[in-house]
Amino acid sequence: MVTTYLRRAYSSFLAHVVDIPPRLLAFILILLWASVPVFKPDGYTLTILVSTNIWAIFVASWDLLVGFTGQMSLGHALFYGIGGYSTALLFKYFQLPVWITIPLSVVVVFSFAIILSYPALRVKGPYLAMTTMAFALIASSVLYIFPEITGADSGVRKLPLLFPLKLFRREGISALESVYQQTLAYYYFTFISLVITLLILYKVTHSKTGIVLVSVLDDELASKASGINVDKFKVMAFALSALFAGYAGCLQVHFVSFADPGLFALTFSFLPVIVTILGGIGTIYGPVIGVFVYQILNEIFFRKVIKIPLEIYQAKLLIFIAVILILVIKWPRGIGRFITDKLKDLEEARDIDERGPRIWKTYKKKGKKIGVIARVRARLKK
Amino acid sequence: MIESIIIVGLMTSMIYALLALGFTLIYGVSGVVNLAHGTFFMIGAYMFYLITGGVFHLDPRLGLIAAPVVVGIMGAVTYRIIIHPVIRDEVSTLVATVCLAIATQQLVLLGTKGLFMVPVEPIVPGYTTFWGLALTYSSILAFAISAALYIFLWIFISKVKVGKAMRAASQDLEATMLMGVNTTRVYILTMALSTALAAVAGISISSAYLGVAYPYMWFHPLALSFAIVILGGLGSIKGTLVGGFIVGYAETAVKTLYPTSASIVTVVPMVIIVLVLVLRPKGLFGKRIELEE
Amino acid sequence: MHLLQIENLTKRFGGLTAVDNVSFHIDEGEIVGVIGPNGAGKTTLFNLISGFLNADSGIVKFKGENITRAAPHEIVNKGIARTFQVVRPFRHLPVIANVMVALRSPRGSRKIEWIKTFERKAVDMLEDVGLTELMLEPAENVGHGDLKRLEMARALATEPDLLMLDEPFGGLNPLETDFLTKSIQRIHLDNPMRGIVIVEHKLYALMKIVKRVIVLHQGRKIAEGKPEEIAKNKEVIEVYMGKAM
Repeated sequence: MVTTYLRRAYSSFLAHVVDIPPRLLAFILILLWASVPVFKPDGYTLTILVSTNIWAIFVASWDLLVGFTGQMSLGHALFYGIGGYSTALLFKYFQLPVWITIPLSVVVVFSFAIILSYPALRVKGPYLAMTTMAFALIASSVLYIFPEITGADSGVRKLPLLFPLKLFRREGISALESVYQQTLAYYYFTFISLVITLLILYKVTHSKTGIVLVSVLDDELASKASGINVDKFKVMAFALSALFAGYAGCLQVHFVSFADPGLFALTFSFLPVIVTILGGIGTIYGPVIGVFVYQILNEIFFRKVIKIPLEIYQAKLLIFIAVILILVIKWPRGIGRFITDKLKDLEEARDIDERGPRIWKTYKKKGKKIGVIARVRARLKK
Repeated sequence: MIESIIIVGLMTSMIYALLALGFTLIYGVSGVVNLAHGTFFMIGAYMFYLITGGVFHLDPRLGLIAAPVVVGIMGAVTYRIIIHPVIRDEVSTLVATVCLAIATQQLVLLGTKGLFMVPVEPIVPGYTTFWGLALTYSSILAFAISAALYIFLWIFISKVKVGKAMRAASQDLEATMLMGVNTTRVYILTMALSTALAAVAGISISSAYLGVAYPYMWFHPLALSFAIVILGGLGSIKGTLVGGFIVGYAETAVKTLYPTSASIVTVVPMVIIVLVLVLRPKGLFGKRIELEE
Repeated sequence: MHLLQIENLTKRFGGLTAVDNVSFHIDEGEIVGVIGPNGAGKTTLFNLISGFLNADSGIVKFKGENITRAAPHEIVNKGIARTFQVVRPFRHLPVIANVMVALRSPRGSRKIEWIKTFERKAVDMLEDVGLTELMLEPAENVGHGDLKRLEMARALATEPDLLMLDEPFGGLNPLETDFLTKSIQRIHLDNPMRGIVIVEHKLYALMKIVKRVIVLHQGRKIAEGKPEEIAKNKEVIEVYMGKAM
């Protein structure tokens, strides 16, 4: 009994992952990323990786909003910050444990996004971009209006960590080692969060709902003419995107044990923009890849020339310039797309445009097609 | 106090209106939202510094003319290299200009190597008193120049052939192209004008009011431009002027009444933007969007 | 009660009156044509009925219900579907997904029984217009004539009680025109209670299908009647040919 189940799971795995080159690549990358601790990175690097995981959730959520529904958000840090401050303040005033404050904060961010979407979605394109930026800046200013509550510049401090250090203190282990173990725990927690986030986002975008979102991106008018309540879908995308961004904020805040105005930083709002172009817009994995590349570049540069702080700026500068060049020269929708397209060409896949969200893929392998639409074909043949 | 708000508000509003005019010009004519508009404001200030103080030590009046010209050329080049290739894709244009803004900021940070703020000379030294206030000649000159430029451009767009071409392009691109107008050239010229205006505003503010130039000074002008254009309404030169004054006075009032709170000032344009978009999205003089296009 | 009733519908754009006090009605099962020279206000009329524009005055009633101020998607879900003069496909989606969007609407998913899936239904719709070959092709790679048929499939996917076609014959070669004529006739036979309104310039194609014609000129209705009568109507001829002689 067990063996038949295993065998079925295995063949399903073969069909759904191994046979589809990009998914295979994704799977391999996930495995690699999960096994990073095997390479014994030092404490600092591990911390950077944890941050990267958190940021990856953040930028992936951004792509849902911008790449799939076409609503430009330049103030996404707003939700990140609200998530972070919610969980911080919930602890400060109610002393609730982390596993309560985080879900509550997520609900707060979600509700807030729904309320915010009513005025926000009345504007389009660059106006929406500026409005979102405005909201983020206003939010960070609000922090200074109520310094008693929010602690202004210093923020809310001494927040509980997700994995308190005492869990890791054991006989014979040095303090340093237990801190390392703690960071490792964080690493896996954020990693799993990331994978779950990506799975959920993937499911949403590759469903009929996803199709509707793309239709909104492509032609709102035609979507309305097809009977779609465009506003409802926009709100949904907005709120869902905010939800994950807020969750990332919670993770961040309980990682560093404080919440400060830096959460709302403008530069953080711009991060997904830059990083998504690197990795490919309109995919969920694109910005994730982009943020990893970004962090690794920054890391390596910092490592190499640790004494000259200007070099850090130089790395970022190069990245920004690279992004502009990518945009302008060849791949307006990101370099990551270019690569995955090449991968698909490997398997005689259909030629689908580089731009636009990736939803429908059909792949041929030994004459058999896989994928949602392929099932249609198969059924037709009967 | 009131006199201060009125006079200073008047003078800064005019400069802001000019700044926003540049922003709305390029948007109205080519549909490009130049998120690097504030960057050209900043470059103008730095260019002025380089010409008059830092490197060349030339007469400030020369700098006042030379710097905007240089920036205008830079704007034209920017359009050609960065914006034109992606002009059809709204998202890419936004991203490209944002990247340009940030990259420039980093470049300036790098280039100034620790000299975070750069002193900018006043255009004309000295001051006079009026209505109980001390007004620098610099600020009066800045006001006069901004007003003159604004009027000049208003006429230019209405009467001169190229200006009319710009108006035509903003109204109906296809027809303009069909009439044989080289729209790309029009865009380049518009961009040059737009950035030059931003530069003039940058020089004015940094030399007559701030006294310094610093690498992060590009964001506030962008926010102001946006607020003014949204408030005044799309594509309306009159609206930009009115919007400029409303926003300018709002900021001056807030600054005068709350002199200690620096962050409040940045919020003013933001709040205005949000209020306008929620209450009256078409702005004061904008044309209403009908078929939801 | 008429299927569609328009009373004194008026729409102004600044100084221009695009639709001027237009009134008419459509009954169940009727195929009606709307003609008129360029700028007569035909598309504006469609936009008013389908909710994409708000009328300055007048009433639009559908099955007795006042829908003058209703939102476009609401109107679709009440049973009016329209196509666009210039095709508006969802570029990034394959042909079949284009139809699936319409099926995802409340009205479109209404009739999908638990046995049939969205895809099966979408394929059915594509079969109706003869587009099954291109099912998986991204819409932006598809030719104009096929896109017109896609528009129609998308509109039909919502099972409308009133189908409004805006220049469906635009840009079609004679073969495609013929195919479309037959398609429209078949669509009518498939669902005899459904009303069809067609705005069209190609009068020879239109006159063959419709039972009644409404003529607009400069926003006003100047004539209404059977195709043969309209063809002989002096005012209509003048308006089309220009005031010659």
